[in-house]
Amino acid sequence: MLSTLIWFPILGAIAIGFLPLPVARLKLITLTITGAVLLWTLWLMHQFDFNNPLFQFQEYIPWLEPLGLNYDLGVDGLSLPLLVLNSFLTWIAVYSSSEETPRPRLFYALILLVSGAVAGAFLAHNLLLFFLFYEVELIPFFLLIAIWGGENRGYAATKFLIYTAVSGALILAGFLGLIWSTGASSFAYESLAGQTLPLGLQILLLGVLLLGFGVKIPLVPLHTWLPDTYVAASSPVVILLGGVLAKLGAYGMLRFGLGLFPEAWVTLGPGLATWATVSVLYGATVAIAQKDIKRMVAYSSIGHMGYILLGAASLTALSLVGAVAQMVAHGLILAILFHLVGVVEAKVGTRELDVLNGLMNPIRGLPLVSALLVLSGMASAGIPGLVGFIAEFLVFQGSYSVFPLQTLLCVVGSGLTAVYFVILLNRTCFGRLDNAIAYFPKVEWRERVPALILAIIILFLGIQPTWLVRWSESTTTATVAAILPISTEQVAVQKIIQQ
Amino acid sequence: MTQFFAENFWLVPCYPLIGVLITLLWSPGMIRRTGPRPAGYVNLLTTFLALLHGTLAFPAAWGQPPLYLDIPWLQVAGLDLTIPLEISALTIGATTLVTGMNFLAQIYAVGYLEMDWGWARFFAFLSLFEAGICSLALCNSLFFSFMVLEILTLGTYLLVGFWLNQSLVVTGARDAFLTKRIGDLFLLMGVLALYPLSGTWNFSELAQWAKTAELQPTVAALLGLGLIAGPMGKCAQFPLHLWLDEAMEGPAPSTILRNSVVVATGAWVLIKLEPVLALSPVVSAVTIAIGAATAIGSALISIAQVDIKRALSYTVSAYMGMIFIAVGTQHTEAALLLILSHALAQGLLVMSTGSVILNAITQDLTDLGGLWSRRPISGICYLVGVAGLVGLPPLGGFWALLKLADGLWASHPWLVGVLLLVNGLTAFSMMREFGLIFAGQPKEMTERSPENAWLVTLPMMGLMGFTLHLPLILQSLSLLPSWASFNTDVALLLLFSSLLGCGAGAIVYIDQKIPKPIQLPWGGLQDFFANDLYTPKLYRSSIVFGVDWTSRIADWFDRFIIDGAVNLVGAVSLLGGEALKYGNSGRGQFYVLTIALSSVAIAIAMSWSFLSQLSLP
Repeated sequence: MLSTLIWFPILGAIAIGFLPLPVARLKLITLTITGAVLLWTLWLMHQFDFNNPLFQFQEYIPWLEPLGLNYDLGVDGLSLPLLVLNSFLTWIAVYSSSEETPRPRLFYALILLVSGAVAGAFLAHNLLLFFLFYEVELIPFFLLIAIWGGENRGYAATKFLIYTAVSGALILAGFLGLIWSTGASSFAYESLAGQTLPLGLQILLLGVLLLGFGVKIPLVPLHTWLPDTYVAASSPVVILLGGVLAKLGAYGMLRFGLGLFPEAWVTLGPGLATWATVSVLYGATVAIAQKDIKRMVAYSSIGHMGYILLGAASLTALSLVGAVAQMVAHGLILAILFHLVGVVEAKVGTRELDVLNGLMNPIRGLPLVSALLVLSGMASAGIPGLVGFIAEFLVFQGSYSVFPLQTLLCVVGSGLTAVYFVILLNRTCFGRLDNAIAYFPKVEWRERVPALILAIIILFLGIQPTWLVRWSESTTTATVAAILPISTEQVAVQKIIQQ
Repeated sequence: MTQFFAENFWLVPCYPLIGVLITLLWSPGMIRRTGPRPAGYVNLLTTFLALLHGTLAFPAAWGQPPLYLDIPWLQVAGLDLTIPLEISALTIGATTLVTGMNFLAQIYAVGYLEMDWGWARFFAFLSLFEAGICSLALCNSLFFSFMVLEILTLGTYLLVGFWLNQSLVVTGARDAFLTKRIGDLFLLMGVLALYPLSGTWNFSELAQWAKTAELQPTVAALLGLGLIAGPMGKCAQFPLHLWLDEAMEGPAPSTILRNSVVVATGAWVLIKLEPVLALSPVVSAVTIAIGAATAIGSALISIAQVDIKRALSYTVSAYMGMIFIAVGTQHTEAALLLILSHALAQGLLVMSTGSVILNAITQDLTDLGGLWSRRPISGICYLVGVAGLVGLPPLGGFWALLKLADGLWASHPWLVGVLLLVNGLTAFSMMREFGLIFAGQPKEMTERSPENAWLVTLPMMGLMGFTLHLPLILQSLSLLPSWASFNTDVALLLLFSSLLGCGAGAIVYIDQKIPKPIQLPWGGLQDFFANDLYTPKLYRSSIVFGVDWTSRIADWFDRFIIDGAVNLVGAVSLLGGEALKYGNSGRGQFYVLTIALSSVAIAIAMSWSFLSQLSLP
């Protein structure tokens, strides 16, 4: 069942890449493949028992047993929402891609490949298998940025490649370190989850993983690849990058950081919460100073990923479910924001805040795009009734009892979010449209529909948040329940770290 | 039958929301054939349905214990977010006030925005506000109140920014949003902090909890200060007051709703939170101080304004300040009464001045004058509004202020002085505005300025009727004090202050002997009030400056230090590669030598543990 999610897109990629399919139909074919994957994911969601905190639909095929590498898949409340997000955003990205994309064969094949690989990473139940899938998406993304990107794409793509490769190396080092130090014979997740290493070694290994996944999330100061990459990449690619790939980092941090080293995680908790707060405030503050709307949204993404870490660091049942919800919320909001910014750039021809003006004008502006931009900006700023609010609120409420100061500072960060989104909206949508330049091309349906669908989902999940949290609630609650109360040794280590 | 309406009262906020959804059909590019007008009528209809529902349900709730409804929303990880609704005479009365005001405002808007291109959008926003305020009135939980307040903050941004072509509108919308958001965020901090202490956000349970709660004084003070920050933003209290002034750039029909009921949302939440605020004497003192400072300060600023709408908007801040005083001294009933009387009178004043602005095409008080003979209806409406606002018997404002002053008389006599002062200053300010608009000789802009069409005039007269009938309504609901409990001293003082204010205003501004514009001998002081106490400059040189420079420095740091370090590493490795490539000479002997030397080095390193044991003689 789960393999379909991985291999169907990858087979599709091969078909599109090598079969002599008509070029004019390529988008439609890709859309069908991704649509089928999306439907399959939704069906899985329907079959998923959300009261069961354990892995479901497990698949196991022995592969390289001497190496401890087996084809071992499973899905639980942590991975299911992200899996759905991946299938959905891939479909959206394909839908929003232009009919005139150059080299469509390669483009769609790479997107399908990425989608399959990301699904594999979310599903993998074996550390080495996860790492393989994690690395597979690297080269396709490099090409997607380097070939179809905007100006400065070469620099951005190389930066992305190097950063991600380093991140991968660190993760592999962490995994291998864990295997060697425990003396385990397999990379299977279950056999490693109950490890009883000394606390110091745990902290060391967790630190390596944190750095590795921290690049991917990204957390300040490991983030500088992100603005360059997001700005250079084309809209469909950046939807995948920001909506899905960043979540892979956060997912890895929760699954392997928190899941494998709970004791070390609890010990480092205060430090992680502070790190999260720094990320939130830093991302928001830098975003205020940006003059390029795409760059502004990119920095906003850095800030918003911080909430996930805060929720995970606090490790209460509420904050952890909030962190998963925030991953989904952030993926949806980021996707619509980048899509709309891409539409604005395509129609108006600029991303400069100082040039843009008055797009809300109903006759000659882009009224629908502006209205949706207001909605998505406000969703990102955490206005209730939209999906961003409830996710952030769950994180805040769950974290407050553990880290009150950090939580309150993150609330300040969400205030700063409002500042830059108001700057963005005021300059872009409001004001007087310059009649001399206001001859914008018509907004096409392929540009409207993805934004409308995303907007409806953002609104729906904001009004009915049960649909957002119920998938992951039992898993996250079980995770938190399994954490042992903090020991004296951990407190002693915390004190040493603080000094 | 009425019972049915009361039990299904949750429908009331849904009517305007349905209106909003239907209005979406008239978005740009959808329905074009009909023009945008039907969108307005749809919203008018849904508002009327809400009003009707409220009026029919009221008799069933009057004198009955409140009805509580629970609507499940979200249960996650031990947090139960169920929407509790309280259906009582008070909440039904509040929603009826809101729907009634919005109904009148929408009729007014049909006339006022005759030729506007944003019809559908405007009516949708008004309905959104109506839905928001109605649900705020009904909901009995701090958390959901916070949600509604935040959504209304967004609504304010959109509604103030309605005429988005004008630069002042754009900055006004921005400032309104950010100022309110600052208040909201402190409120959010309060909401977050309150739950672990009380275990509930339900207002009734909070009141119960507050009776027995024992908090550390610091915790209680910080909590309370966070909680009052939200209402401070909404009620335009110092120092978060500037947005209301700038929001006056929005269309007048929206101002009707804003000045009368939207600002009162903050006061409503404040009243509901009163038991929690009373936990800390510091918070009560701060609430009173903010209220008193705002009330006196904005009444004075109001006198110095030359813009019709801005002069009015500051009296709103002043009256909300008095509500803060009332809540700080635990006089919630007086506060509620003040909200009611203020809403009607203020709505009427905005309607009257709006009708002047509409066809005098100016809102500069120095350009107006001599309209009394041309537009007696607007003039009378204005006067009734003034009488209803300040403490002039027998209208509503008098009874509300009397109730408050009576309550303060024994405990806080100096606050009665503040009340009388604010009342007098407001009366003076209102009569000044009346004199400048209606008295004297017509000027260029008022030469041709007749009464407007019935769509504007009729709702105004209707609201005048309600303002005049408010005492009767209060009487029938037995909300007026009996003769036995009537405090004659306070009543006389109140009457005296109103008469003094009105009289002084009339002498200076209606009588034409004193030349206008009036220059005070201390020009600095006059400028101080005319420029809103220089608050805009204060904001710009403190908060805005701070955030702006912090973000620039952070951006510089990001670009040159963090990314600079990354690029440096990249450049160094490139340069290193470039430099090393000259070592590749192509001569075989050199390579063999390198390999040999490296092998020896590795061999020594590998066998070091063995070699080190060899004892050298």
